[in-house]
This record gives sequence, structure tokens and C-alpha cells, in this order.
Amino acid sequence: MNQNELKALVSDWRVATLIILILLSVVAIYPHFDENGNVTTNLQYGLDLQHGAWIQLEFKGEVVGFTTDEPVDTFIANLSKAADAEVVRIDETHLEIRKSYTQAELEPFFTTAGGRISSYSPGVSKATADDVKLILENKINAIGTKDAKVNTLTGLNNVARYVRVEMAGVDMKEAQEIVGKQGKFEIRVQTTGNSTEHVISGDSITTVQMPSQSPPGSDKWGVSFALSEDGATAFQEAAIKYGATADPANHYLLMILDNKTVYSAPLSEELAGQLQTQKIRQLYASTGAGKTGSTQATELEIHLRAGALPVDVSIAGSGGMSAPLGERYKTMAVLAGILALITVGFVIYYRYREPGIVLPMILINTSELVILLGFISLIRFQMDLPTIAGLVAVVGTGIDQLVIITDEILHEGKVPSPNLYLKRLARALGIIVAAAATVVIAMVPLALMDLSTLKGFAIITIMGVLVGVIITRPAYGRIIMQILSK
Amino acid sequence: MGLINYNIEKYSPQQLVVIPLVLFAISLVVIAFTMLATGMPVTPGIDFSGGTAVTIITTDSSEQLQTTFAGYPLSEISDMNNGKFLKFGTMDDARYQSLSQLISEKYPDAKIDQIGESFGKSLQSQAALALLISFIGMAIVVFLSFRTFVPSVAVVLSALADMVMTAAVMNIVGITLSLGTTAALLMLIGYSVDSDILLTNRVLKRQGKLNDKLMGAFHTGMIMTSTTLAAVTALFVVSWFGSVQILMEISAVLLIGLVADMLNTWLTNVGILKWYVLKGGGK
Repeated sequence: MNQNELKALVSDWRVATLIILILLSVVAIYPHFDENGNVTTNLQYGLDLQHGAWIQLEFKGEVVGFTTDEPVDTFIANLSKAADAEVVRIDETHLEIRKSYTQAELEPFFTTAGGRISSYSPGVSKATADDVKLILENKINAIGTKDAKVNTLTGLNNVARYVRVEMAGVDMKEAQEIVGKQGKFEIRVQTTGNSTEHVISGDSITTVQMPSQSPPGSDKWGVSFALSEDGATAFQEAAIKYGATADPANHYLLMILDNKTVYSAPLSEELAGQLQTQKIRQLYASTGAGKTGSTQATELEIHLRAGALPVDVSIAGSGGMSAPLGERYKTMAVLAGILALITVGFVIYYRYREPGIVLPMILINTSELVILLGFISLIRFQMDLPTIAGLVAVVGTGIDQLVIITDEILHEGKVPSPNLYLKRLARALGIIVAAAATVVIAMVPLALMDLSTLKGFAIITIMGVLVGVIITRPAYGRIIMQILSK
Repeated sequence: MGLINYNIEKYSPQQLVVIPLVLFAISLVVIAFTMLATGMPVTPGIDFSGGTAVTIITTDSSEQLQTTFAGYPLSEISDMNNGKFLKFGTMDDARYQSLSQLISEKYPDAKIDQIGESFGKSLQSQAALALLISFIGMAIVVFLSFRTFVPSVAVVLSALADMVMTAAVMNIVGITLSLGTTAALLMLIGYSVDSDILLTNRVLKRQGKLNDKLMGAFHTGMIMTSTTLAAVTALFVVSWFGSVQILMEISAVLLIGLVADMLNTWLTNVGILKWYVLKGGGK
């Protein structure tokens, strides 16, 4: 191949796209030396390839479709009393019951309250699950663990039954402690200047509601919460003693979680007046208007709970991986990838005996792996063992499709004219697209479902097929034409 | 490729399909027995039935391990290259805590995974649903791309036979259904139709004599399957050598599936397709 031909080849858009993507991928993977002089990359690993632990929690609750002839609010109040559980309305026809019951156990409660069950699925609403996710993330961040992931497993019916926590670099015992840990919450009152006094601690808070608007329907957000009898007494006494009722503006109330101030505001005039004469158990902390107010209300709700979850959970599974075993699996994975490329190379060589064909095939195959790894680094996907099996399968089937192209073009052993060449290439690509479509379709259910750890595997396999069909196969068609036409 | 000398021309469609038909029937019987015993077509592993799986690096013998874990529901010890893979039945939380304590003291380099029974059960139905939807999706793609009835049915039947035979062999050699092997089965649904699509495409859309087209497709198809076989064999060897349990199972299922695929493409699918063309279809 002379220089002009090479230039023409590289400036072909199919080949150029491939080269640019390979370069971008190498940048994304970013192989470099760490401070100890070991080679390292931007790739992230799942818990079967590195030291860490995972815990899967099951929500103790259920989402129930309902019908009733009673006014809905009355019905919910009665149901909550009958079932002795918190009942939250999710939408027009669905309730979330925050206690574990079977459908048969629920039937009598519904009858008592004057309603009927129209559907039943164990779990909680997506909103509650997201709340739990936020709370868990907050807890983990407070510890300072950097590589942590919290995922809710939501079914196709939008009901979440499980939440999965993965933490790198900790043992199973530590992980369970972190997840189960309660924060230290207290309310303090400003006395003079910067000094404050303790008013009540977190155990005086009995219930915390979800963020709400006050007055209802306005854009002013806040969280209401209730104090225990003793808590309310202590609250009233402190407010009077330190002057917060007489001069609210100079005696702010501070909420502190793990020594960090998470909320600070004066008593409202109205509340200050009431506290002079009576104890108040139901309090409302307003956070302001609009999107900011609503976000802050959500955060405050979590802080008020001090790490307690809005719904009870039980451990549905857990596991841990030791550092040496993780390292060994990683080495094995790299070894498997390299060995797969080499053996595939031998098979191809056995078939064609022509370095001019075999070399481009292997290079294209390798480039496909590089692009996929680049993509994996870019989306910060945590590679695990099934994904590695998927990548090896991509190597095997990627070559398949290059074989289809080569054989289709070399049909009858002659190198075709450019016109015929394009026709044959199109036919080969037709076969490849049909084959690729079946793989994509086969993986789609996994990518949409939350089948535990398999979601990522499915997404990477689909990506592998797409990269092949859209980028590397057309480029190979162009390159092999150049080589064969000599 | 001169290694395999397989002359499709020599055999009638009936002769071609008889071997896979017999194997298919035997496989169905195996699956039926497993269904009766476990309620699933393939024996469910810990991922789907609940329990605890432990991988340890040790030179301790099975007897020593039996004594160490005498107080726990140890159900299976399998040998690996330089370690052991242990399976425990389901146990309550306190028991599990003490087990994980014991393991982290005696074998600090272990990998432990515990799956609760109810979680496993909830995964069962989802996995079955995923496999079913995948298969139907694959069938739709096949029908859309050929738009003729008999050849499409041939491809879908071959894929079905692949799955059934693979499941049967899994039961016979004792590979359980885990999340990993479910992934492998899904990969098979997608990949096993590669060579069937190539075959059908060559026979229906190319000019020329039927037998030439069959032989051409056979040459290309065999090299395709053998490259995938080569890659998966590499994975199997490395994971066996490095005792990576889940990769070993995935690659074993893929190997079984690929062999079943060769059989079904070049006997089942070719048989039906040849019958279809000889009786005048595809013109």
C-alpha cells in the first residue's frame, strides 16, 4: 500500500470514525501509573472484582390498589387504624401500606374501613424507595466512603421491593454497621450571641411527615413533625427559659445532625405566642418557596429522621469480597480476554492463511474491545464477571461477522469489481444486521428489568453489538476492499 | 476447511432431522424430570432458591471443612483448582452472622454471597419472564427478516432445540441455574441464530445450485461457530485455572449451547430448509 492509498483509506469517513473513537476511548480509559508505580486505569469494578461488600434490603410494605365508597381521607384514616400502620396515598387508586401484610391479612382491614382491594404487590412506591435511597446515600457519605452505590430494584409495575447497597473497600460487618447506623440529632436554641443550649434530642421526635406545602396548594414548602409528650414539655420550657418566646428574632432554633447544623430559623410569631401558655406537639419547619424550598424540605425530612428509614426493612441478602480474591479474579479476567483474542486469531489464520486478511480482522476485533472499554469508563459502569463473559462473547461473535463479510465478498474465489463489491458488502451487512437485531432483542428484557446485577451486563452486550454494526463492520468492509483489490 | 468432511448432499431431509429429533425428545424427558423434582426446567442454584455461597482459597480437605462447618447447613463442597466452593442452605440471620464471623476469622480471603429465600423466589419469575420475552422477540425478528413461513419456523425451531438441549445437558452435568447462567442462556438465544440466519439467507437469496449454496454456507458457518467456540473455550480454561466459579459456569453453558447450535443448524435447520426448497418453495 503506498502513501496515497493509505491517505485515501484513512480519510474515508468510516475508517476515520473508527480511528477517532479508538483515540477517544484510550483517553477515557486513561491507562497511567499510580503513585506506587502500578499500571491503573479509569475502569470501575463491581464487587466480584474488588474488595467490598453488598447488602440487599427488602421493604416491609405493600402497594395496594383500592376502591371505596367512603370519602377517601376518612377511608385512609380508618384503614391506617385498622391495620395499625402508616398508610400513604400514592395516586388516585393506589395506597402504600408501611407494614408487611399478605393480601389475605389485609382483606378484613379493608372491609372494616369500607373498601376493597383491587390489586396487591409487595414493596413500596417509587417515591418512598427514592427517599430510602437518599437517606442511605446520606449515611454513607457521612462516613466518607467514596465508592458506594445505592440502587432501588423497581419492577415493571413501578413498585420497588428491594434496595441494594454496594460499598467498595469495606468488610461485610462494617457495611452492615454503616447501613444500620442512626445519626445523632438534636435541637438547640440560641441564648446570647453564638452560644446555644440543648433543647431536645432525636429520640423525642415521634413522627416525621413527607414534605408538604403550607398553606396547602401554595408554593411554600416545609416538613411537619411531632414531639413526644416529654419532648414537647422540654421544648416549651427551653423556649420560655432562653427567651425564644419573648424575642424570637434573636433566639434562633438550630437542628444539628452529627455536629452539623442542618436547619436554623426563628420561631414564628404565632408559635412563639402559643408556646407562652401551652405545649405544642405538632411542629412545622418551613424551608422556603419554589424548587429550592422543596429540595430543602426533602433533605430536612431525611435529617429529622436521623438515618431512620420511613419504612421498615429486612436483610434479603448480603455478601462480601476479599481484596486478594478480587485481585486474582481481575488478573484472570484480563488473561481470559487476551487468550480469547489469541485463540480466535489462530482459528482465523487456519481458515484464511493470509496475514493480509487475518491481521485486519484481529485489529478490528481488538479495536471493538477498546471502544467498549472506553464506553464503560465513560459511563462509570462497574464491570463485573458476567460483563466480562459478555465482552469475551463480543470478541467471538465480532469475528463471526467479519468472516461473513470476507466470505461474502470473496464468493467464488475472485476479487469482485467495485460495483459488485458494494452489492455483496450490502448483502453481508444485511445478514449481520438481522443477526445483531436478534442479540439486541434478546437482551432488551434484561436491560429493562431490574434482575439484580444483570442489567449492566445486558446494556454492555447491546452496546457491543451496536458498536460492531454501526462502526467497526463498515470500517472493516472499507479496509478489506483496499487490501483485496491489490 | 478440510478437517470436517460433511456432505449435506448425501442425506435426505428426513435423515438429517432424525438425530436432533431423538436428542430433542430425550432432552424434554430430562427437563420434565427436573421440573417434577424442583419446579423449574433447570435446577435452581442459590441465586434463585436462597442460601449462601462461599469461595475460599485453601488446601484444607473436604473432611476438614465438614468439621469446621459442622454447625451449619453445609450442603455441597466442590473442588476448584486451588480452593473450594461451598454451598449452604438457608439459615436465619443470627446463624448467618456467626457463619460469616467464622469464615472471616479462618479464611480472611473469602468471597461470601448470601441470598434470602424470598428474594431468590422473586427473581425466579423475572428470569423466566426475561427468557420468554427474549425468545419471542428473537422469533419476531427472524420472521420480519425472512417474511416466509417455513424457513422462519426452521430457524426458530433450531433455536428452541438449542435451548432445550442446553438446559438438559446442564441438568445432566450438574450446572445450576444462577443469574450468570441465565445471562449465558440469553446470550445463546441471541447468538445461536447467527449461523441459521446466514444459512437461510444464502439459500433463499443467492443464485446457484442448492448443494453449492449449502456447502458454502456450511464452510462460512462452521468457521463462525468455531471462532466463538475458541473465544469461549479460552474463557473456560482461564476460569477453571483461576477457580472463578461464575465465569466457569457461564462459559460451560455457552460451550454446550454452541455445540447444540452446530447440531441444530446443520441437521435440523438444513433438513427443514432442504425439504422446503426441494418441494418448490423459495423460488
